[in-house]
Amino acid sequence: MTTTAPDPTTESGSDPGNGRGPGHRDSGTDAMWTSRLRHRIFDQLPPDTLLPDEQPAYVASWIYVFGVLTLAALGVITVSGLWLAFEGPQWWHGSSVGHWVNSLHFWSVQIFFFVMIIHLWGKFWMAAWRGRRAMTWITGAIAFFASIGTAFSGYLVQTNFDSQWIAAEAKDGINSVGIGAWFNVLNVGQALLIHVALLPLVLVLLIVWHVLLVRRHGVVPPIDHVADVSPDSGPTEDPELVPWRGAKRRYDIVKEFAVAFVAVAVLTVALASLLSSPDEKAITLQKWATAAPADFVATAASELDGSSGTASYGAPYVNLPDAGQSIGPLHLQRWAGVRVPVDAAKTFVLDPLRTSASTDPALKAALGQWDGAAAAQQQAWATAWTEALGKAPDGDPAKAVATGAGPVPALTSALLVRARSGALDGPVGLGSGFFQTNYTASVLFLADGTYLEDQAVAQNLGGNQSGMMNETGAYPGQEWLWLYTFWYQVKPFSDETNSWGANADAIIFAIMGLLSLGLMLLPYIPGLRSIPRWIPVHRYIWRQWYAEHRGT
Amino acid sequence: MTSMTVSALNLDGHGHYVHLVGPIQISLGNLIVIIVMLIVFGLAVLLPFPRDRR
Repeated sequence: MTTTAPDPTTESGSDPGNGRGPGHRDSGTDAMWTSRLRHRIFDQLPPDTLLPDEQPAYVASWIYVFGVLTLAALGVITVSGLWLAFEGPQWWHGSSVGHWVNSLHFWSVQIFFFVMIIHLWGKFWMAAWRGRRAMTWITGAIAFFASIGTAFSGYLVQTNFDSQWIAAEAKDGINSVGIGAWFNVLNVGQALLIHVALLPLVLVLLIVWHVLLVRRHGVVPPIDHVADVSPDSGPTEDPELVPWRGAKRRYDIVKEFAVAFVAVAVLTVALASLLSSPDEKAITLQKWATAAPADFVATAASELDGSSGTASYGAPYVNLPDAGQSIGPLHLQRWAGVRVPVDAAKTFVLDPLRTSASTDPALKAALGQWDGAAAAQQQAWATAWTEALGKAPDGDPAKAVATGAGPVPALTSALLVRARSGALDGPVGLGSGFFQTNYTASVLFLADGTYLEDQAVAQNLGGNQSGMMNETGAYPGQEWLWLYTFWYQVKPFSDETNSWGANADAIIFAIMGLLSLGLMLLPYIPGLRSIPRWIPVHRYIWRQWYAEHRGT
Repeated sequence: MTSMTVSALNLDGHGHYVHLVGPIQISLGNLIVIIVMLIVFGLAVLLPFPRDRR
């Protein structure tokens, strides 16, 4: 839509849309970079295009309001997110007001995806990429993916049980394609900064670009329209490309956004007040050791004998050339390298024990015996203890026969005592330093046991239960991840005994990457891009316009 | 399950899950959101939009 009539209010009466004021052409300033940039901006986006007060008459369907509703929801997300950011990440766990604001953030995200997906459906059925609008579609699709990434990082930084489990599960997907070497989902500090700074910035820039493209190219006309085309368009000219000069209707874009913002804000407040939001407490190492001591001791033994999940993980934690997932010949996980090195035995068991060995002679002696032995002997002791625990009734360490296990029973027993006291939680435990924001070691150790997974499976959060998509309690979760989690539920990916299942994280990541690329490049894919013509949902969207132009 | 605030509807209890085809299951919360989304989309397409009074 363009309306480029001369504006009598300008000093020269020149076209206000081109940004060239009086005297500029003669002053020699047109060659300046600043002038060129200004001219380019105003040529592309004159004020009446950027903030129009009318639009084509065919823009007459409720489906059009979902774009501005998405922007409004983003506004509410931003306000509630800023409120949370100013109060800090512990606030929403211990204060009623904080929990309510967290609920605002939770429900505004739900509304954001709700309206954005309807907006996307609407644009698909309109084939909104027609008439050189492919980039508008592509930027919208990328903004959709960026929104998923931003929301996902938000779920990681909830610092509750849900985020603990999501991080433990997501690390495998992220690591399987090498991304985990740079984006460590177990590092809360990194995830929090990415969530509140980097990703919102990227998302906002994408959305601004998307909206400017919408304003620049106008709203796509009805499919197969032939009327209301510019009378001077040539016979070979695509009517979808020419600027709309047909009938128009009034359009108060600022009022529309204001009304949408208020509507979304009211709905968010209502949902937050009526339904609250999930915030189940995180599982501490103290809770694990108290509730499931056999699992804790068996896990500690497996860290010492090298059979634990972390010790045998491969990149980015451990240098094991044959470990890790691949997509056929693509060993992305291995190629990314060990960038988050973790020595499981040292980090999870031995180092925490050394901090208190000076006050515990028995522990000091056991550590001395361990340190003085060759690696093969250490391995033999730890393996013997792991096997003994496996044979003991209920895995109970008190009933295990510790023959040939050397100092390992004493070490794991001492670690259990310290874990139960709470000494392993927080900065004096597995962390390193006073200011602790990286929980990689704690979550990896916890995830090596079965207790965390048992708790998650009991709440239907398991990997083969669409776990990443679900939320604790009866709350809706990340339903926008339905297709991603769907693959984990079906064979061959659900069966880890075959290579598809063993490499499921990497292969599913690749499948979703290809599907995402397909959605993004839909305007260029023959057949798929014609679906909106074959299934005429657009006849209902533009039925008012089609009815008025029947036979034209 | 903990909640700092008292909500009118308690969603902190155990979630309900619906088995779709074979092993595929979905939580009732997610299913409700998706169904409502489809209904709203249908309404947005079908409900008449006010005409410009001009």
